[in-house]
Amino acid sequence: MKKRLLMFFLVLLIIVSSVPLTFAAPKAKKEKLMVYTSMKEQLIGQIRDAFVKKYPNIQFDYYSAGAGKLMAKLATERQAGNIMVDVIWTSEIPDFYQLKREGMLEKYISPEAAKVVSPVKDPDGYFTPIRLGTLGIAYNTNYIKTPPKTWDDLLGKDYADGFGIANPALSGTSMVSVAAMVQNLGWEYFEKLRANGAKIGKGSGEVVDDTALGDLKACLAVDYITIGKIQKGATLGFAYLDKILVIPSPAAIVKGSKNIEAAKKFIDFMLSAEGQAIIANSLTLPIREDVPIVKNVGLVAPEEAVRRAMPIDYDWVMAEKTNIIDQFTKIMTK
Amino acid sequence: MKFPRLAKGLSGLKKFGVAELVLLVSIAILVVVVAFPILLIFWNAFTTPEGKFNLKDVVTILSQPQTYEALWNSVVIAAGVTALSTVLGVFFAWLVTRTDLPFKNLMKLLFVVPFMLPSFIGAIAWKILCSPRGGYLNVFLVNLLGLEKAPFNVYTMTGIIIVETMYLFPFVFIQVSGALERMDPTLEESALISGIDLFTITRKITFPLITPSFVAGALLVAMYSLSHFGVPSVLGQNAGIYNIPTLIYQAIHASGGSFNAIRTGTVLASLLVLAAALILYLQNLVLKKGRYQIIAGKSMRPMLLKLRGLRVPMLVLSILYIAVTVLLPTVIIFLVGALKTYGLPLKFTNMTLDNLKYIFTWKMTRDSIKNSVILSVGAAVVTMLVGTMISYVIVKAKVKGKFILEFLGMLPYSVPGTVIALGVILAWSGKFGINLYNTAGIIFVAYIARYMAFALKSTSASLEQVHDSLEEASRACGASHWQALKDIVLPLIKPGMISAFFMIFFPALRELTTSVLLYGPTTRTIGVAIYALHEDGETVYATALASIALVIIVIGEIIIRRLSKAERRNA
Repeated sequence: MKKRLLMFFLVLLIIVSSVPLTFAAPKAKKEKLMVYTSMKEQLIGQIRDAFVKKYPNIQFDYYSAGAGKLMAKLATERQAGNIMVDVIWTSEIPDFYQLKREGMLEKYISPEAAKVVSPVKDPDGYFTPIRLGTLGIAYNTNYIKTPPKTWDDLLGKDYADGFGIANPALSGTSMVSVAAMVQNLGWEYFEKLRANGAKIGKGSGEVVDDTALGDLKACLAVDYITIGKIQKGATLGFAYLDKILVIPSPAAIVKGSKNIEAAKKFIDFMLSAEGQAIIANSLTLPIREDVPIVKNVGLVAPEEAVRRAMPIDYDWVMAEKTNIIDQFTKIMTK
Repeated sequence: MKFPRLAKGLSGLKKFGVAELVLLVSIAILVVVVAFPILLIFWNAFTTPEGKFNLKDVVTILSQPQTYEALWNSVVIAAGVTALSTVLGVFFAWLVTRTDLPFKNLMKLLFVVPFMLPSFIGAIAWKILCSPRGGYLNVFLVNLLGLEKAPFNVYTMTGIIIVETMYLFPFVFIQVSGALERMDPTLEESALISGIDLFTITRKITFPLITPSFVAGALLVAMYSLSHFGVPSVLGQNAGIYNIPTLIYQAIHASGGSFNAIRTGTVLASLLVLAAALILYLQNLVLKKGRYQIIAGKSMRPMLLKLRGLRVPMLVLSILYIAVTVLLPTVIIFLVGALKTYGLPLKFTNMTLDNLKYIFTWKMTRDSIKNSVILSVGAAVVTMLVGTMISYVIVKAKVKGKFILEFLGMLPYSVPGTVIALGVILAWSGKFGINLYNTAGIIFVAYIARYMAFALKSTSASLEQVHDSLEEASRACGASHWQALKDIVLPLIKPGMISAFFMIFFPALRELTTSVLLYGPTTRTIGVAIYALHEDGETVYATALASIALVIIVIGEIIIRRLSKAERRNA
């Protein structure tokens, strides 16, 4: 009897121990870097190409998904005690304050950081804005002939049953946008939008694609995603409203990163004139004043963006994040 | 004997022979791979992090409106899909087996084709075609007929039910057409000779005879649909329609992966397991009641109903059905995959090959193809081999305690992919000394658990056909146990093993439900890559990758058909 039990455990042990052996990835000597970002391939792909060219010894990988998903991934990795990410780069600014408070970020002040111009900065150096995202209205030109000018335009007949906002639970940009709109336009504005038939979409890219198909007439849209599609010939227009949503996208090094040196190189690279030029060429606003934007594609100039920007109280956004998402969902699904 | 002492020791343990050892190993594998993760789900659902029993949270989660709404949606979708699949499946099965429909054999083949099309790719295609304002089919019909409003809205429960039915109805079709073919036609003929009209014959003889098979098919559809992720997630989320698997996905992905999110997931998963177990129980009940031996008659030609004037209309109907459910979605996937950007009219001038080129140069998509191929080949090989061993013990070995194995072997049948994914997250992300999280290993383990049922089914079926006397004869002639196995049993069950391999390989290749919860930054599968691209608003890239996936699947199927034909010819 005893022996039988012994045998049983022996077999169990052999099976259990053989599993990780088979799947442990072969370790490479090369320096590695894993970036989690909410930037789309269109933007991060070009940065990767240039970065890998400059640092051929760094094995660069990235994971692109909505900010909500990335945070979920990070949280699960923390629970599992196996953090894979080195640099995190999204537009969901409250997350960075939150991670900083939880001691999840590594302090790093890049030598290039002094040149950054941004409404959001972390004086302690735990995260640095990399780009200045702007949001406008993407509209399907088959349905909307005159571009919108004010936020009140979106409450008109042209947009009835056809205006979409990305789900703030999935998209960081959308989360901060909704919060800024609540602060500047009030919850009543969302009630009115909903009364006009506005709805929640999925990710910040999907609402633009749905607008291009004509399923939505217009949507709250990120600059480079929309302009990129317009340049490929999509039946889309892009317009800024009287008050502009300007949302910086910070990057930070995650504490416990095994590749801190590579991570620092990456932050430096993104802030360098070279990296910023790539960002600007991807049709969004650079974070440095000395890097020119792409002209004549409908992108707002950085100075003007800052002048017309909706003010955002990030402390409030951080404290109220879940409530904002809940309230928004409640109104928009009424 | 080289090791007299060892031999003595072993013979001392008379009861503990090779059979017992294999039994134990088999049990151990099933426990570790299947039972343990599932137990953890229940454990997690009903205890606090400190390990205390906790029913309060379960009640709270279950009493949330979104939970019972999702449960209700799951049930309604499953019921609708099952009803619709049964009607369609029985009708078409009858049409191709019992009437003089032209091109019957070809049509029979075509009706199984929807199986090859991954349902979430179908859902994406239908979204592109029938989304309420912009869908290409809607726009086309509005312009053609001068309609005021678009005729179809696919973002509804009805839309989900219809799309799911398109890709699930072959379950019923295959079962029922099989039964109709094997049925002894003399039963009907004798009734006919006795002067009973055809309607009564159908009602009193044919229908009762095929009842077990269509109920089996219908319950299979119900079980699959209840835990189906792809279609409801592509079509339902925009309209706020969630079922249990999409709610689990939402809980895990949107709310920070916290303990509470995982808890919510496990409670919902427990619901799914219970529902699936109930369906399985019903299925056994029906199958036990309906062992109609008459069906096992020799293949005789049943009398065919003359469709007369309906022959051509019925053929047209069948062809239209295939065209709408298979051809149209496939074509739209290829066309949109070639568009310069999403939303442009489907004109040749708007087409480009850049998307395809991009898919092949983009590391993410290339990796996803590589991952899917490696994972599905690996999972198919391992699961097939382990499944054969376990089936052998269940079917052939005379050993005590194999009921445990039979019970464990039943488990994977009733456990949905979402549940297995949650289970392996709980089991293999470091809490028990092994951390596979974010690696391909965790998907691999999940695939083995998920597809073990297929391997067991296929290999045990062919093992049952190998009569014990064959093995006994070889043993009587002096062959060792191993020799008998190697020279007699294995060659005989080889076809079963090969079919098990492909029964696992193809579903795994296009798998989404499990891997969408398990993938890491570098371990996306094809399904996940298509799903994520679609979700990120890269519809043209998503469809371009989907068309590549479809090409791989179709070529694979063709190769297998060729191979199995050649095999049969050789045999």
